[in-house]
Amino acid sequence: MAVLNRMDWYDLARTTNWTPTYVTEDELFPPLMSGAFGLPQNAWEKYDEPYKQTYPEYVKVQRDKDAGAYSVKAALERSRIFENADPGWKSVMKAHYGAIARGEYAAASAEARMMRFSKAPGMRNMSTLGCLDEIRHAQMQLFFPHEHVSKDRQMDWAFKAYDTNEWGMIAARHFFDDIMMTRDAISVSIMLTFSFETGFTNMQFLGLAADAAEAGDHTFANLISSIQTDESRHAQIGGPALKILIENGQKAEAQKRVDIAVWGAWKLFSVLTGPIMDYYTPLEHRKQSFKEFMEEWIVAQFERALTDMGLDLPWYWDIFLKELSETHHGMHMGSYFWRPTVWWNPAAGVTPDERAWLEEKYPGWNDTWGQCWDVIIDNVVDGNMAMAYPETLPYVCNMCQLPILGTPGKGWNVKDYPLEYNGRLYHFGSEVDRWCFQQEPERYAGHLSIVDRFLAGMIQPMDLGGALNYMGLAPGECGDDAHNYAWAEVYRALRAEKKAS
Amino acid sequence: MALFPITSNFEGDFVLQLVAVDSENTMDEVAAAAAVHSVGRRVRARPGQIMRVRRQGSEDFLPRSMRVSESGLKPTETVEIIWEAPKH
Repeated sequence: MAVLNRMDWYDLARTTNWTPTYVTEDELFPPLMSGAFGLPQNAWEKYDEPYKQTYPEYVKVQRDKDAGAYSVKAALERSRIFENADPGWKSVMKAHYGAIARGEYAAASAEARMMRFSKAPGMRNMSTLGCLDEIRHAQMQLFFPHEHVSKDRQMDWAFKAYDTNEWGMIAARHFFDDIMMTRDAISVSIMLTFSFETGFTNMQFLGLAADAAEAGDHTFANLISSIQTDESRHAQIGGPALKILIENGQKAEAQKRVDIAVWGAWKLFSVLTGPIMDYYTPLEHRKQSFKEFMEEWIVAQFERALTDMGLDLPWYWDIFLKELSETHHGMHMGSYFWRPTVWWNPAAGVTPDERAWLEEKYPGWNDTWGQCWDVIIDNVVDGNMAMAYPETLPYVCNMCQLPILGTPGKGWNVKDYPLEYNGRLYHFGSEVDRWCFQQEPERYAGHLSIVDRFLAGMIQPMDLGGALNYMGLAPGECGDDAHNYAWAEVYRALRAEKKAS
Repeated sequence: MALFPITSNFEGDFVLQLVAVDSENTMDEVAAAAAVHSVGRRVRARPGQIMRVRRQGSEDFLPRSMRVSESGLKPTETVEIIWEAPKH
Protein backbone atom coordinates (compact mmCIF):
# COMPACT_ATOMS: atom_id res chain seq x y z
CA MET A 1 0.00 0.00 0.00
CA ALA A 2 1.35 3.39 -0.93
CA VAL A 3 2.13 5.64 2.02
CA LEU A 4 1.45 9.35 1.76
CA ASN A 5 4.42 11.67 2.05
CA ARG A 6 4.68 13.28 5.47
CA MET A 7 3.90 16.77 4.28
CA ASP A 8 0.77 15.56 2.47
CA TRP A 9 -0.94 14.81 5.76
CA TYR A 10 1.07 16.42 8.58
CA ASP A 11 -0.74 19.77 8.74
CA LEU A 12 -4.15 18.08 8.79
CA ALA A 13 -3.12 15.46 11.34
CA ARG A 14 -1.84 17.97 13.83
CA THR A 15 -5.00 20.09 13.63
CA THR A 16 -6.24 18.80 16.94
CA ASN A 17 -7.95 21.87 18.41
CA TRP A 18 -11.73 21.77 18.66
CA THR A 19 -14.41 24.02 20.04
CA PRO A 20 -15.30 22.77 23.49
CA THR A 21 -19.02 22.62 24.27
CA TYR A 22 -19.20 20.83 27.63
CA VAL A 23 -16.65 23.10 29.30
CA THR A 24 -15.41 26.61 28.65
CA GLU A 25 -12.12 27.24 26.86
CA ASP A 26 -10.64 28.45 30.15
CA GLU A 27 -11.64 25.19 31.84
CA LEU A 28 -10.04 23.18 29.07
CA PHE A 29 -6.94 25.37 29.05
CA PRO A 30 -6.71 27.04 32.49
CA PRO A 31 -4.80 30.30 31.86
CA LEU A 32 -2.49 29.62 34.80
CA MET A 33 -1.27 26.43 33.12
CA SER A 34 -1.69 27.42 29.49
CA GLY A 35 -0.30 30.93 29.62
CA ALA A 36 -2.48 31.97 26.73
CA PHE A 37 -1.67 35.68 27.24
CA GLY A 38 -5.31 36.51 26.57
CA LEU A 39 -5.13 35.01 23.09
CA PRO A 40 -7.86 32.62 21.95
CA GLN A 41 -7.25 29.15 20.57
CA ASN A 42 -7.38 30.24 16.95
CA ALA A 43 -4.48 32.69 17.45
CA TRP A 44 -2.34 29.79 18.64
CA GLU A 45 -3.36 27.61 15.70
CA LYS A 46 -1.01 29.72 13.56
CA TYR A 47 1.92 28.22 15.49
CA ASP A 48 4.11 26.57 12.88
CA GLU A 49 6.92 24.41 14.14
CA PRO A 50 10.10 24.76 12.06
CA TYR A 51 11.15 21.16 12.61
CA LYS A 52 8.50 18.68 11.62
CA GLN A 53 8.80 15.06 12.57
CA THR A 54 6.23 12.29 12.81
CA TYR A 55 6.09 9.78 15.61
CA PRO A 56 7.28 6.80 13.48
CA GLU A 57 10.18 8.90 12.19
CA TYR A 58 11.01 9.94 15.71
CA VAL A 59 11.06 6.38 17.04
CA LYS A 60 13.30 5.19 14.23
CA VAL A 61 15.81 8.01 14.64
CA GLN A 62 15.87 7.79 18.43
CA ARG A 63 16.37 4.06 18.33
CA ASP A 64 19.42 4.53 16.14
CA LYS A 65 20.79 7.25 18.44
CA ASP A 66 20.39 5.06 21.50
CA ALA A 67 21.98 2.10 19.75
CA GLY A 68 24.99 4.27 18.87
CA ALA A 69 25.58 5.70 22.33
CA TYR A 70 24.96 2.45 24.22
CA SER A 71 27.17 0.41 21.91
CA VAL A 72 30.10 2.82 22.37
CA LYS A 73 29.64 2.52 26.13
CA ALA A 74 29.50 -1.30 25.94
CA ALA A 75 32.58 -1.46 23.72
CA LEU A 76 34.65 0.75 26.02
CA GLU A 77 33.49 -0.59 29.39
CA ARG A 78 36.69 -2.57 29.89
CA SER A 79 38.95 0.21 28.66
CA ARG A 80 39.59 1.63 32.16
CA ILE A 81 39.16 5.17 30.83
CA PHE A 82 37.65 6.27 34.12
CA GLU A 83 40.43 4.73 36.20
CA ASN A 84 43.12 6.29 34.03
CA ALA A 85 41.51 9.66 33.41
CA ASP A 86 43.03 12.85 34.72
CA PRO A 87 41.37 13.64 38.08
CA GLY A 88 40.31 17.00 36.65
CA TRP A 89 38.36 15.17 33.96
CA LYS A 90 36.64 12.94 36.53
CA SER A 91 35.52 16.10 38.29
CA VAL A 92 34.00 17.33 35.03
CA MET A 93 31.92 14.14 34.79
CA LYS A 94 30.83 14.29 38.42
CA ALA A 95 29.78 17.93 38.23
CA HIS A 96 27.93 17.35 34.97
CA TYR A 97 25.99 14.25 36.00
CA GLY A 98 24.97 15.67 39.38
CA ALA A 99 23.81 19.01 38.03
CA ILE A 100 22.11 17.68 34.90
CA ALA A 101 20.84 14.07 35.06
CA ARG A 102 17.83 14.40 37.37
CA GLY A 103 17.06 17.85 35.98
CA GLU A 104 16.30 16.06 32.72
CA TYR A 105 13.42 14.19 34.38
CA ALA A 106 12.13 17.52 35.66
CA ALA A 107 12.38 18.86 32.11
CA ALA A 108 10.22 15.94 30.94
CA SER A 109 7.52 17.25 33.27
CA ALA A 110 7.89 20.77 31.84
CA GLU A 111 7.61 19.41 28.30
CA ALA A 112 4.52 17.47 29.42
CA ARG A 113 2.94 20.76 30.56
CA MET A 114 3.36 22.16 27.04
CA MET A 115 2.08 18.86 25.63
CA ARG A 116 -1.18 19.06 27.60
CA PHE A 117 -1.84 22.74 28.19
CA SER A 118 -0.53 24.64 25.18
CA LYS A 119 -3.30 25.98 22.98
CA ALA A 120 -0.99 25.53 19.97
CA PRO A 121 -1.46 22.08 18.39
CA GLY A 122 1.98 22.20 16.78
CA MET A 123 3.57 22.89 20.15
CA ARG A 124 1.73 19.97 21.69
CA ASN A 125 3.11 17.76 18.95
CA MET A 126 6.72 18.92 19.28
CA SER A 127 6.70 18.76 23.05
CA THR A 128 5.36 15.20 23.00
CA LEU A 129 8.61 14.30 21.31
CA GLY A 130 10.49 16.73 23.58
CA CYS A 131 9.10 14.97 26.64
CA LEU A 132 10.29 11.61 25.34
CA ASP A 133 13.69 13.23 24.63
CA GLU A 134 14.05 14.38 28.21
CA ILE A 135 13.11 10.96 29.60
CA ARG A 136 15.79 9.45 27.34
CA HIS A 137 18.36 11.99 28.56
CA ALA A 138 17.56 11.27 32.19
CA GLN A 139 17.75 7.52 31.70
CA MET A 140 21.05 7.66 29.83
CA GLN A 141 22.68 10.08 32.21
CA LEU A 142 21.67 7.93 35.15
CA PHE A 143 22.68 4.66 33.50
CA PHE A 144 26.08 5.78 32.21
CA PRO A 145 27.52 6.98 35.55
CA HIS A 146 26.15 3.97 37.41
CA GLU A 147 29.07 1.72 36.44
CA HIS A 148 31.40 4.14 38.28
CA VAL A 149 29.49 4.34 41.57
CA SER A 150 31.26 1.31 43.02
CA LYS A 151 34.63 2.90 42.20
CA ASP A 152 34.01 6.37 43.54
CA ARG A 153 31.41 7.53 46.06
CA GLN A 154 31.17 10.99 44.54
CA MET A 155 29.66 9.40 41.42
CA ASP A 156 26.60 8.62 43.55
CA TRP A 157 25.79 12.32 43.28
CA ALA A 158 24.60 11.67 39.73
CA PHE A 159 21.60 10.14 41.51
CA LYS A 160 21.23 12.08 44.71
CA ALA A 161 22.33 15.67 44.01
CA TYR A 162 18.81 16.94 43.34
CA ASP A 163 17.57 15.51 46.65
CA THR A 164 20.11 17.43 48.70
CA ASN A 165 20.52 20.93 50.05
CA GLU A 166 24.04 21.25 48.69
CA TRP A 167 24.45 24.96 47.82
CA GLY A 168 25.05 24.45 44.10
CA MET A 169 21.99 22.25 43.90
CA ILE A 170 19.87 24.81 45.72
CA ALA A 171 20.98 27.23 42.99
CA ALA A 172 20.21 24.74 40.21
CA ARG A 173 16.77 23.90 41.64
CA HIS A 174 15.92 27.58 42.19
CA PHE A 175 16.70 28.29 38.54
CA PHE A 176 14.96 25.28 37.03
CA ASP A 177 11.96 25.66 39.33
CA ASP A 178 11.70 29.25 38.14
CA ILE A 179 11.95 28.68 34.38
CA MET A 180 10.28 25.32 33.91
CA MET A 181 8.54 23.83 36.94
CA THR A 182 6.40 26.80 37.99
CA ARG A 183 5.58 28.47 34.68
CA ASP A 184 2.73 28.12 32.21
CA ALA A 185 3.17 26.22 28.94
CA ILE A 186 4.01 29.27 26.82
CA SER A 187 6.46 30.67 29.37
CA VAL A 188 8.17 27.27 29.54
CA SER A 189 8.56 27.32 25.78
CA ILE A 190 10.21 30.76 25.99
CA MET A 191 12.31 30.30 29.12
CA LEU A 192 13.32 26.65 28.91
CA THR A 193 13.51 25.91 25.22
CA PHE A 194 14.26 29.25 23.54
CA SER A 195 16.35 30.91 26.24
CA PHE A 196 18.05 28.09 28.09
CA GLU A 197 18.31 25.38 25.46
CA THR A 198 18.95 27.49 22.36
CA GLY A 199 21.14 29.86 24.29
CA PHE A 200 23.16 27.63 26.52
CA THR A 201 22.94 23.86 26.21
CA ASN A 202 25.10 24.08 23.12
CA MET A 203 27.88 25.07 25.43
CA GLN A 204 27.49 22.31 27.99
CA PHE A 205 26.91 19.64 25.39
CA LEU A 206 28.96 20.66 22.34
CA GLY A 207 31.84 22.28 24.20
CA LEU A 208 32.06 19.42 26.63
CA ALA A 209 31.80 16.81 23.87
CA ALA A 210 34.88 18.32 22.23
CA ASP A 211 36.76 18.33 25.54
CA ALA A 212 35.66 14.75 26.26
CA ALA A 213 36.94 13.51 22.92
CA GLU A 214 40.24 15.34 23.52
CA ALA A 215 40.48 13.70 26.95
CA GLY A 216 39.92 10.27 25.35
CA ASP A 217 36.53 9.76 27.00
CA HIS A 218 34.62 8.66 23.89
CA THR A 219 31.75 7.20 25.89
CA PHE A 220 30.96 10.56 27.46
CA ALA A 221 31.58 12.42 24.19
CA ASN A 222 29.11 10.16 22.34
CA LEU A 223 26.56 10.36 25.13
CA ILE A 224 26.35 14.12 25.23
CA SER A 225 26.57 14.54 21.45
CA SER A 226 23.63 12.17 21.20
CA ILE A 227 21.70 14.29 23.68
CA GLN A 228 22.52 17.50 21.87
CA THR A 229 20.91 16.25 18.64
CA ASP A 230 17.60 16.10 20.55
CA GLU A 231 18.18 19.48 22.18
CA SER A 232 18.72 21.19 18.87
CA ARG A 233 15.30 19.92 17.74
CA HIS A 234 13.14 20.57 20.78
CA ALA A 235 14.91 23.88 21.55
CA GLN A 236 12.91 25.18 18.58
CA ILE A 237 9.59 24.90 20.41
CA GLY A 238 9.75 28.43 21.78
CA GLY A 239 10.52 30.33 18.56
CA PRO A 240 7.09 30.11 16.90
CA ALA A 241 5.42 30.94 20.25
CA LEU A 242 7.51 34.11 20.50
CA LYS A 243 6.47 35.01 16.96
CA ILE A 244 2.78 34.75 17.87
CA LEU A 245 3.24 36.79 21.06
CA ILE A 246 5.07 39.55 19.20
CA GLU A 247 2.45 39.62 16.42
CA ASN A 248 -0.24 40.01 19.05
CA GLY A 249 1.30 42.91 20.96
CA GLN A 250 2.90 40.86 23.75
CA LYS A 251 6.54 41.62 22.97
CA ALA A 252 7.28 43.23 26.35
CA GLU A 253 6.07 40.18 28.29
CA ALA A 254 7.96 37.83 25.97
CA GLN A 255 11.14 39.90 26.24
CA LYS A 256 10.93 39.94 30.03
CA ARG A 257 10.79 36.16 30.18
CA VAL A 258 13.77 35.86 27.82
CA ASP A 259 15.77 38.37 29.87
CA ILE A 260 15.10 36.59 33.18
CA ALA A 261 15.87 33.11 31.84
CA VAL A 262 19.02 34.09 29.94
CA TRP A 263 20.48 35.76 33.02
CA GLY A 264 19.78 32.79 35.29
CA ALA A 265 21.22 30.41 32.72
CA TRP A 266 24.35 32.55 32.43
CA LYS A 267 24.92 32.48 36.18
CA LEU A 268 24.47 28.72 36.37
CA PHE A 269 26.87 28.10 33.50
CA SER A 270 29.39 30.49 34.99
CA VAL A 271 29.74 28.12 37.94
CA LEU A 272 29.24 24.81 36.14
CA THR A 273 31.01 25.23 32.81
CA GLY A 274 33.40 28.15 33.33
CA PRO A 275 35.67 26.37 35.84
CA ILE A 276 35.54 23.16 33.80
CA MET A 277 36.77 24.80 30.60
CA ASP A 278 39.38 27.17 32.03
CA TYR A 279 40.68 25.25 35.05
CA TYR A 280 39.70 21.54 35.18
CA THR A 281 40.35 20.49 31.58
CA PRO A 282 44.07 19.65 31.30
CA LEU A 283 45.91 22.49 29.57
CA GLU A 284 46.96 20.40 26.57
CA HIS A 285 43.34 19.46 25.88
CA ARG A 286 41.85 22.95 25.98
CA LYS A 287 40.49 24.06 22.60
CA GLN A 288 39.17 27.50 23.50
CA SER A 289 38.86 29.55 26.64
CA PHE A 290 35.42 29.75 28.23
CA LYS A 291 35.16 33.35 27.11
CA GLU A 292 36.13 32.53 23.51
CA PHE A 293 33.65 29.68 23.45
CA MET A 294 30.90 31.87 24.88
CA GLU A 295 31.61 34.64 22.38
CA GLU A 296 31.67 32.32 19.38
CA TRP A 297 28.95 29.82 20.20
CA ILE A 298 26.61 31.63 22.53
CA VAL A 299 26.86 35.38 22.10
CA ALA A 300 27.03 35.54 18.31
CA GLN A 301 24.43 32.82 17.74
CA PHE A 302 22.03 34.01 20.39
CA GLU A 303 22.23 37.64 19.29
CA ARG A 304 21.18 36.47 15.83
CA ALA A 305 18.39 34.29 17.22
CA LEU A 306 17.00 37.21 19.21
CA THR A 307 17.11 39.76 16.43
CA ASP A 308 15.75 37.30 13.83
CA MET A 309 12.81 36.82 16.15
CA GLY A 310 12.14 40.55 16.43
CA LEU A 311 13.27 40.71 20.03
CA ASP A 312 15.83 43.10 21.49
CA LEU A 313 19.08 42.14 23.13
CA PRO A 314 18.48 41.97 26.90
CA TRP A 315 18.89 45.42 28.49
CA TYR A 316 21.88 44.12 30.45
CA TRP A 317 23.84 42.85 27.41
CA ASP A 318 26.85 45.10 28.12
CA ILE A 319 26.99 43.87 31.72
CA PHE A 320 26.78 40.28 30.47
CA LEU A 321 29.61 40.77 27.95
CA LYS A 322 31.80 42.27 30.67
CA GLU A 323 31.04 39.39 33.02
CA LEU A 324 32.32 36.87 30.45
CA SER A 325 35.86 37.84 31.49
CA GLU A 326 35.21 37.87 35.22
CA THR A 327 32.42 35.92 36.88
CA HIS A 328 33.55 32.35 36.26
CA HIS A 329 37.00 33.06 37.73
CA GLY A 330 35.25 33.94 40.97
CA MET A 331 32.93 30.94 40.75
CA HIS A 332 36.02 28.75 40.35
CA MET A 333 37.84 30.34 43.26
CA GLY A 334 34.70 29.98 45.38
CA SER A 335 34.08 26.33 44.58
CA TYR A 336 37.80 25.59 45.05
CA PHE A 337 38.17 27.42 48.36
CA TRP A 338 34.90 25.95 49.69
CA ARG A 339 35.78 22.58 48.12
CA PRO A 340 34.50 20.42 51.00
CA THR A 341 31.00 21.67 50.08
CA VAL A 342 30.95 20.27 46.54
CA TRP A 343 30.60 16.63 45.41
CA TRP A 344 33.53 16.66 43.04
CA ASN A 345 37.21 17.43 43.50
CA PRO A 346 37.98 20.81 41.97
CA ALA A 347 41.24 21.05 40.06
CA ALA A 348 43.09 24.21 41.07
CA GLY A 349 44.44 24.79 37.55
CA VAL A 350 47.00 27.39 38.61
CA THR A 351 50.44 25.98 37.81
CA PRO A 352 52.81 28.56 36.27
CA ASP A 353 52.00 27.25 32.75
CA GLU A 354 48.29 27.39 33.42
CA ARG A 355 48.62 30.90 34.82
CA ALA A 356 50.45 31.98 31.70
CA TRP A 357 47.53 30.63 29.63
CA LEU A 358 45.02 32.45 31.86
CA GLU A 359 46.99 35.70 31.58
CA GLU A 360 47.07 35.34 27.78
CA LYS A 361 43.33 34.64 27.56
CA TYR A 362 42.34 37.13 30.26
CA PRO A 363 44.91 39.96 30.35
CA GLY A 364 45.29 41.20 33.93
CA TRP A 365 44.46 37.81 35.51
CA ASN A 366 47.71 37.78 37.54
CA ASP A 367 47.03 41.21 39.02
CA THR A 368 43.51 40.30 40.06
CA TRP A 369 42.60 36.63 40.54
CA GLY A 370 46.29 35.78 40.64
CA GLN A 371 46.78 37.92 43.75
CA CYS A 372 44.32 35.79 45.74
CA TRP A 373 45.76 32.59 44.28
CA ASP A 374 49.27 33.70 45.35
CA VAL A 375 48.11 33.59 48.97
CA ILE A 376 46.34 30.24 48.55
CA ILE A 377 49.39 28.75 46.79
CA ASP A 378 51.77 29.98 49.52
CA ASN A 379 49.60 28.33 52.17
CA VAL A 380 49.54 25.02 50.28
CA VAL A 381 53.28 25.11 49.60
CA ASP A 382 53.99 25.94 53.27
CA GLY A 383 51.66 23.18 54.47
CA ASN A 384 49.56 25.81 56.20
CA MET A 385 46.41 23.98 55.21
CA ALA A 386 44.12 25.40 57.90
CA MET A 387 44.36 28.74 56.07
CA ALA A 388 43.65 27.08 52.72
CA TYR A 389 40.09 26.27 53.80
CA PRO A 390 37.18 28.54 54.82
CA GLU A 391 35.72 29.05 58.28
CA THR A 392 32.53 30.81 57.30
CA LEU A 393 29.95 30.88 54.53
CA PRO A 394 30.22 33.05 51.44
CA TYR A 395 27.21 35.34 51.19
CA VAL A 396 24.95 34.13 48.40
CA CYS A 397 22.59 35.98 46.08
CA ASN A 398 18.88 35.81 46.84
CA MET A 399 18.16 35.38 43.12
CA CYS A 400 20.76 33.05 41.61
CA GLN A 401 21.71 31.52 45.00
CA LEU A 402 25.40 31.65 44.05
CA PRO A 403 28.14 33.52 45.92
CA ILE A 404 28.14 37.30 45.55
CA LEU A 405 31.51 38.01 44.01
CA GLY A 406 33.55 40.28 41.81
CA THR A 407 37.10 40.88 40.71
CA PRO A 408 39.73 40.90 43.50
CA GLY A 409 43.24 42.26 43.83
CA LYS A 410 44.19 45.40 41.92
CA GLY A 411 40.86 45.41 40.09
CA TRP A 412 38.78 45.07 43.26
CA ASN A 413 35.15 45.74 42.35
CA VAL A 414 33.16 43.42 44.63
CA LYS A 415 29.77 44.85 45.46
CA ASP A 416 26.50 43.91 47.10
CA TYR A 417 23.22 44.90 45.42
CA PRO A 418 20.84 45.03 48.39
CA LEU A 419 17.08 45.50 48.44
CA GLU A 420 14.70 45.88 51.34
CA TYR A 421 11.37 44.26 50.61
CA ASN A 422 8.59 43.86 53.16
CA GLY A 423 11.01 44.49 56.01
CA ARG A 424 13.53 41.86 54.91
CA LEU A 425 16.99 42.75 53.62
CA TYR A 426 17.82 40.81 50.47
CA HIS A 427 21.26 40.63 48.87
CA PHE A 428 21.99 40.22 45.17
CA GLY A 429 25.12 39.52 43.18
CA SER A 430 24.40 42.03 40.42
CA GLU A 431 22.06 44.72 39.24
CA VAL A 432 20.51 42.12 36.93
CA ASP A 433 19.83 39.57 39.68
CA ARG A 434 18.09 42.31 41.66
CA TRP A 435 16.09 43.35 38.59
CA CYS A 436 14.94 39.75 38.04
CA PHE A 437 13.67 39.62 41.64
CA GLN A 438 11.89 42.96 41.27
CA GLN A 439 9.90 41.79 38.24
CA GLU A 440 7.79 39.59 40.49
CA PRO A 441 8.98 39.88 44.10
CA GLU A 442 6.26 37.70 45.60
CA ARG A 443 7.38 34.85 43.40
CA TYR A 444 10.82 34.80 45.04
CA ALA A 445 10.51 36.61 48.37
CA GLY A 446 9.70 33.58 50.52
CA HIS A 447 12.72 31.55 49.43
CA LEU A 448 15.53 31.10 51.93
CA SER A 449 19.08 31.00 50.62
CA ILE A 450 21.61 28.69 52.29
CA VAL A 451 22.82 31.70 54.34
CA ASP A 452 19.24 32.62 55.34
CA ARG A 453 18.74 29.02 56.49
CA PHE A 454 21.96 29.13 58.49
CA LEU A 455 20.91 32.37 60.19
CA ALA A 456 17.45 30.94 60.89
CA GLY A 457 19.07 28.12 62.85
CA MET A 458 18.05 25.45 60.35
CA ILE A 459 21.64 24.19 60.08
CA GLN A 460 22.87 22.58 63.27
CA PRO A 461 25.42 22.54 64.72
CA MET A 462 26.36 25.91 63.23
CA ASP A 463 29.78 24.83 61.97
CA LEU A 464 31.33 23.16 58.93
CA GLY A 465 30.29 19.69 60.13
CA GLY A 466 26.70 20.82 60.55
CA ALA A 467 26.74 22.50 57.16
CA LEU A 468 28.14 19.42 55.40
CA ASN A 469 25.53 17.24 57.10
CA TYR A 470 22.78 19.66 56.03
CA MET A 471 24.08 19.56 52.47
CA GLY A 472 24.04 15.75 52.41
CA LEU A 473 27.79 15.42 51.97
CA ALA A 474 28.82 12.18 53.68
CA PRO A 475 32.45 11.38 54.47
CA GLY A 476 34.16 10.30 51.27
CA GLU A 477 31.91 12.55 49.21
CA CYS A 478 33.23 15.99 50.20
CA GLY A 479 35.42 17.57 47.60
CA ASP A 480 39.13 18.20 47.96
CA ASP A 481 41.90 19.13 45.55
CA ALA A 482 41.59 16.94 42.43
CA HIS A 483 45.32 16.24 42.24
CA ASN A 484 45.91 16.01 45.97
CA TYR A 485 47.98 19.23 45.72
CA ALA A 486 50.63 17.59 43.50
CA TRP A 487 50.73 20.83 41.49
CA ALA A 488 52.30 22.57 44.51
CA GLU A 489 55.53 20.66 43.81
CA VAL A 490 56.25 22.95 40.86
CA TYR A 491 56.12 25.94 43.20
CA ARG A 492 58.31 24.17 45.79
CA ALA A 493 60.87 23.48 43.09
CA LEU A 494 60.75 27.11 41.95
CA ARG A 495 61.32 28.26 45.52
CA ALA A 496 64.25 25.88 45.97
CA GLU A 497 65.74 27.09 42.69
CA LYS A 498 65.38 30.70 43.76
CA LYS A 499 66.95 29.98 47.13
CA ALA A 500 69.88 28.16 45.51
CA SER A 501 70.60 31.06 43.21
CA MET B 1 25.27 41.73 74.00
CA ALA B 2 23.83 39.80 71.11
CA LEU B 3 25.16 37.96 68.13
CA PHE B 4 24.97 40.18 65.09
CA PRO B 5 25.54 38.92 61.52
CA ILE B 6 27.21 41.25 59.05
CA THR B 7 28.30 40.79 55.46
CA SER B 8 31.98 41.48 54.95
CA ASN B 9 33.27 42.94 51.71
CA PHE B 10 37.01 42.92 52.33
CA GLU B 11 39.25 45.09 50.15
CA GLY B 12 41.15 42.93 47.69
CA ASP B 13 39.09 39.78 48.30
CA PHE B 14 36.74 38.27 45.72
CA VAL B 15 33.59 37.37 47.64
CA LEU B 16 31.20 38.61 50.30
CA GLN B 17 31.29 36.57 53.49
CA LEU B 18 29.04 36.10 56.47
CA VAL B 19 30.74 37.22 59.67
CA ALA B 20 29.32 36.91 63.15
CA VAL B 21 30.10 39.82 65.47
CA ASP B 22 28.59 41.08 68.70
CA SER B 23 26.31 44.08 68.92
CA GLU B 24 28.75 45.59 71.43
CA ASN B 25 31.82 45.13 69.23
CA THR B 26 33.63 48.25 68.06
CA MET B 27 34.35 48.88 64.39
CA ASP B 28 37.97 47.87 64.97
CA GLU B 29 36.72 44.57 66.36
CA VAL B 30 34.37 44.16 63.39
CA ALA B 31 37.31 44.71 61.01
CA ALA B 32 39.39 42.17 62.91
CA ALA B 33 36.57 39.60 62.82
CA ALA B 34 36.18 40.10 59.07
CA ALA B 35 39.94 39.87 58.53
CA VAL B 36 39.97 36.34 60.00
CA HIS B 37 38.18 35.13 56.87
CA SER B 38 40.18 37.07 54.27
CA VAL B 39 43.67 38.05 55.45
CA GLY B 40 46.16 35.22 55.11
CA ARG B 41 43.60 33.16 53.19
CA ARG B 42 43.25 35.15 49.96
CA VAL B 43 44.43 38.64 50.88
CA ARG B 44 47.97 39.47 51.96
CA ALA B 45 48.41 41.25 55.27
CA ARG B 46 49.59 44.84 55.02
CA PRO B 47 51.88 45.41 57.99
CA GLY B 48 51.63 48.90 59.41
CA GLN B 49 48.20 49.56 57.93
CA ILE B 50 44.96 49.53 59.85
CA MET B 51 41.59 48.29 58.70
CA ARG B 52 38.64 50.65 58.66
CA VAL B 53 34.94 49.96 58.30
CA ARG B 54 32.48 51.83 56.14
CA ARG B 55 29.01 51.28 54.79
CA GLN B 56 28.91 50.22 51.17
CA GLY B 57 28.67 53.31 49.00
CA SER B 58 30.00 55.65 51.68
CA GLU B 59 33.35 57.42 51.45
CA ASP B 60 33.44 57.98 55.20
CA PHE B 61 34.66 55.44 57.69
CA LEU B 62 32.65 54.71 60.80
CA PRO B 63 34.56 55.81 63.94
CA ARG B 64 36.93 53.10 65.13
CA SER B 65 35.44 52.96 68.60
CA MET B 66 31.81 53.09 67.48
CA ARG B 67 29.84 50.03 68.57
CA VAL B 68 27.69 48.02 66.18
CA SER B 69 24.65 48.85 68.30
CA GLU B 70 25.35 52.58 67.81
CA SER B 71 26.05 52.36 64.09
CA GLY B 72 22.55 51.85 62.74
CA LEU B 73 23.79 48.84 60.77
CA LYS B 74 21.07 46.30 60.03
CA PRO B 75 21.63 42.57 60.50
CA THR B 76 23.45 41.17 57.41
CA GLU B 77 24.10 44.66 56.02
CA THR B 78 27.26 44.81 53.93
CA VAL B 79 30.23 46.70 55.26
CA GLU B 80 33.45 47.35 53.39
CA ILE B 81 36.70 46.72 55.22
CA ILE B 82 39.32 49.05 53.78
CA TRP B 83 43.06 49.23 54.39
CA GLU B 84 44.22 52.62 55.67
CA ALA B 85 47.86 53.67 55.62
CA PRO B 86 49.04 55.41 58.79
CA LYS B 87 48.86 59.19 58.64
CA HIS B 88 52.24 60.90 59.06
